[in-house]
Amino acid sequence: MLVPGRNAGFELAVNAYFNDLYRFAYWLCRNRWQAEDLVQESLVRAWRSWQGLRDERAVKVWLFTIVRREFHRAVSRAARPEPVTDADDLASSADMASGMDLTRALRELPDDSREALLMQVLGGFSCSEIASALGASEGAVMTRLTRARQVLRRRLDPADARGMRQA
Amino acid sequence: MNCLELRRAVMVDPRRLDTEALAHAERCDVCRGFLADALELEAGLDAALSVSVPHGLKERAMGRARDDPRLSRRYALAAGLMLAIGAGTTILWRQNDPLALAGIDFVVFEESQAILDAKPSDPDDLARVAVQMGINLPWQLGELRYIGTCPFAGTMAHHVVLKTAYGKATLLLLPGRTQLSRAAAVARGLEAVVAPATGGSVAIIADSSRSLARIEESLQNG
Repeated sequence: MLVPGRNAGFELAVNAYFNDLYRFAYWLCRNRWQAEDLVQESLVRAWRSWQGLRDERAVKVWLFTIVRREFHRAVSRAARPEPVTDADDLASSADMASGMDLTRALRELPDDSREALLMQVLGGFSCSEIASALGASEGAVMTRLTRARQVLRRRLDPADARGMRQA
Repeated sequence: MNCLELRRAVMVDPRRLDTEALAHAERCDVCRGFLADALELEAGLDAALSVSVPHGLKERAMGRARDDPRLSRRYALAAGLMLAIGAGTTILWRQNDPLALAGIDFVVFEESQAILDAKPSDPDDLARVAVQMGINLPWQLGELRYIGTCPFAGTMAHHVVLKTAYGKATLLLLPGRTQLSRAAAVARGLEAVVAPATGGSVAIIADSSRSLARIEESLQNG
């Protein structure tokens, strides 16, 4: 038996953010099956703590933080298997050659840069929110984001990277 | 704003440029082209990140969260107790406060990761926050093992880990999170209280009521 108000609030939040949470999990794990486990385990933890959450504006960043912590907990529990490319996902997300390049480049980003970029693009969070969630300074987050974009641009257009280094 | 500053801003977040940056891009052809390339990359990123969500996963995840055996047991216990009340039985049972319980869950499930994730924290910041909240952090509390900040219950908490004479204890200073009265919870072998403070509240989590009472008294009296 669930308390209706509590249940409804949780369902609303899950409905609103589930796709982004799954995609965040997917790009952390880079594997569909691990991402499914990760997002399910994260929601179990979120539900356990849901009643204590009062600041509704913070729900999204709170859920992303739980997914990230669960991911790192899982990684620390066992050596992460080498990510296996999911052909279905790649085909649906990137139809063109440039899209494939971008997908590969995203997979090859350093973990800290990728996490910051995913939180910004998928979560829509500001540098300050990302810094709080990652336990890093805002300056460090800005550096990670810049590096991530430099790598992506370099990968997509090596000539363009020279312009970026000048910036 | 000059060209260099604009390019730096674009590389950090091309979707959140301020009016000054946008005005510069309007004036400067080279930077306008740079911004257009950056936004094209963002569109590509959106498409690349939009992997398809497996059909039915949301429903499975919701179901699994609802069927969490720990919570099922808790609700089963609550239902049993409600039945007993209905039967006129005297129940000496008090529900755990959600925030205090969240404090216990934090210590059990998240504290170690929060410590690994956190950046070094300045003790002066903690002291300043404590003063603002009217909380004393006397040395008699115990040996300070860790200070940092972390997300907790939808707010940023000042996280303190102590080694006291009675065992390990965790404090979570929660500025802005007001609490009208003292609340408590007991779960997973730990005890927690959330006490009101000036402009916020403080959660104390320890493994014994003795430790909890001593810390609470010290925080109030200094």
